[in-house]
Amino acid sequence: MNAVVLIDTLLLLLVTATAVAIIEVRSLYASAILTGIYSLLMALVWVNMHSMDVSFTEAAVGGGISTILLIGTLVHVGREEKPIKKRLHVPALIFTALTGAALIYGTLDMPRFGDPAAPIHHYRVPEMMAQTVGFVNGTPGKQKPPEGFDLDRYRRFDGRVTGPIPDDPKDTAWREKSILQTEGLMVPQVRAAHEPHAEEGHHLHPPDDFNGHVPNSVTSLLAAYRGYDTMFETTVIFTAGISLILLLRRPRREGYLQPGAALSDQVILRVVTKLSIPFILIFGFYVITHGELGPGGGFQGGVVLATAFILYALIFGRAALYRVVPPPVSDILTGVGVLIYSGTGAACMLLGGKFLDYSMLNPAVPGDGESLGMTLVEYGVGLTVSMVMLTIFNQLAEERST
Amino acid sequence: MTGALGIYNYWIYVLLMMIGLYGVIAKPNLIKQAIALGLFQTGIFLYYISMAVVDGGTAPVWTTILDGAQKYEGPYDNPLPHVLILTAIVVSVSVLAVALALIINIKRAYGTIEYDEIEAMDQADKRADYQRGQVTDAADDVEHRQEGHHHA
Repeated sequence: MNAVVLIDTLLLLLVTATAVAIIEVRSLYASAILTGIYSLLMALVWVNMHSMDVSFTEAAVGGGISTILLIGTLVHVGREEKPIKKRLHVPALIFTALTGAALIYGTLDMPRFGDPAAPIHHYRVPEMMAQTVGFVNGTPGKQKPPEGFDLDRYRRFDGRVTGPIPDDPKDTAWREKSILQTEGLMVPQVRAAHEPHAEEGHHLHPPDDFNGHVPNSVTSLLAAYRGYDTMFETTVIFTAGISLILLLRRPRREGYLQPGAALSDQVILRVVTKLSIPFILIFGFYVITHGELGPGGGFQGGVVLATAFILYALIFGRAALYRVVPPPVSDILTGVGVLIYSGTGAACMLLGGKFLDYSMLNPAVPGDGESLGMTLVEYGVGLTVSMVMLTIFNQLAEERST
Repeated sequence: MTGALGIYNYWIYVLLMMIGLYGVIAKPNLIKQAIALGLFQTGIFLYYISMAVVDGGTAPVWTTILDGAQKYEGPYDNPLPHVLILTAIVVSVSVLAVALALIINIKRAYGTIEYDEIEAMDQADKRADYQRGQVTDAADDVEHRQEGHHHA
């Protein structure tokens, strides 16, 4: 048993213990704080599994924002749970035990943890990662196919070009004869896709030729391969912001704000806050901008940006925050972020490509166009996420008069 | 890492999900339920990220481009589950926020956030309405009014 597995085992035990405590502890306030601890432990688990982007998000969202939101809500609804007579809910226990047993029975068939031959690493994913490299996807603006190369013979039903389609599915000889193979044009991912039942020890390789491709594959999948999905996730967050405004905002004629208590008489807190806010903001922008090179991106950076504003509001009061970011401004910026995202997609269409085909932004150097497009999209996401988080905080902290 | 330890992560995911599910069913407090729903979600996140791990793998950032000189040939972890979960976490906080907003409104309307008390108040309201002969519930409305006519 190596160190990574040992750490993983211990962390997961801690996480489970924290989860039980969250459910069973009677004080809601303690429950909220434990949720923050739970998220930080989870962030460590993600790091241990090399999932840096997820860890980043979990630490910022779970450890930071959701704890603040929960505590902000407890101010309105009371911090104690009503005492229950029976501590143990027997029907629920039986139901969850049965469901859990069924799920565990399902896991017995799973490939073991870390198995490189697991289907998830071989079905479609290698092609996804190869999509912008070479001419595998047959998109104009990418590397040109060689003379006499019959693209249509290699085009698949979804328009991408990966290999010749055999008449007989059991015929595997075409793989050896494939021009992509013999000319050395097939990148390892595509090669892996052609050999779904890969042998033990086979693993994902980086593409041979990057063409200036975005190095953080999480960001390139997020913004390119799953670009539509990410756009609508941004819309979901935008919708959450709108819902909070509709549910909790006071009518404008009453003013946006009721005077609330601030900790502003605490000199140390004031000074430390004022010192740290510029650094938090710089870090947030760095995380968004750097998203295509390393771990980070619009979601994580947006949350970090929001924490700077929330910290300011917590220490100096929301009246001070509203002088910096008035509610109408944050409302409009929420929508502007979604607009930047879809606008980038529309710009690609106007330039002659498909929606969100970033290489169109710079057809001469497709890799640069991709970087530019992804950065724009990440800024759109970051703007929406930060402003929605700010709106959510403002609305939950607000005491409505009616 | 063979045998039971090989699928240990998948058992923990089941455990976390079931702790969350138990909380949603067994705890009448709405805040507790919202938190328990979050635990349920992290169980699913754990499942996805566990599937992405490859023996000896590292974070899926192609370092070749940054260094140029040295070439790391892999293995890398699978980035796709990371992408899915990264967005799911941000969506989950949005879900939590909307739930909390609804809970605040429920507190304003009922004065409590305990599910059983809310249920009892609703039942009591209904009973009082029946006794007065005016039913606010739209489904029962017509039927009850006809009944009233009959008696009159």
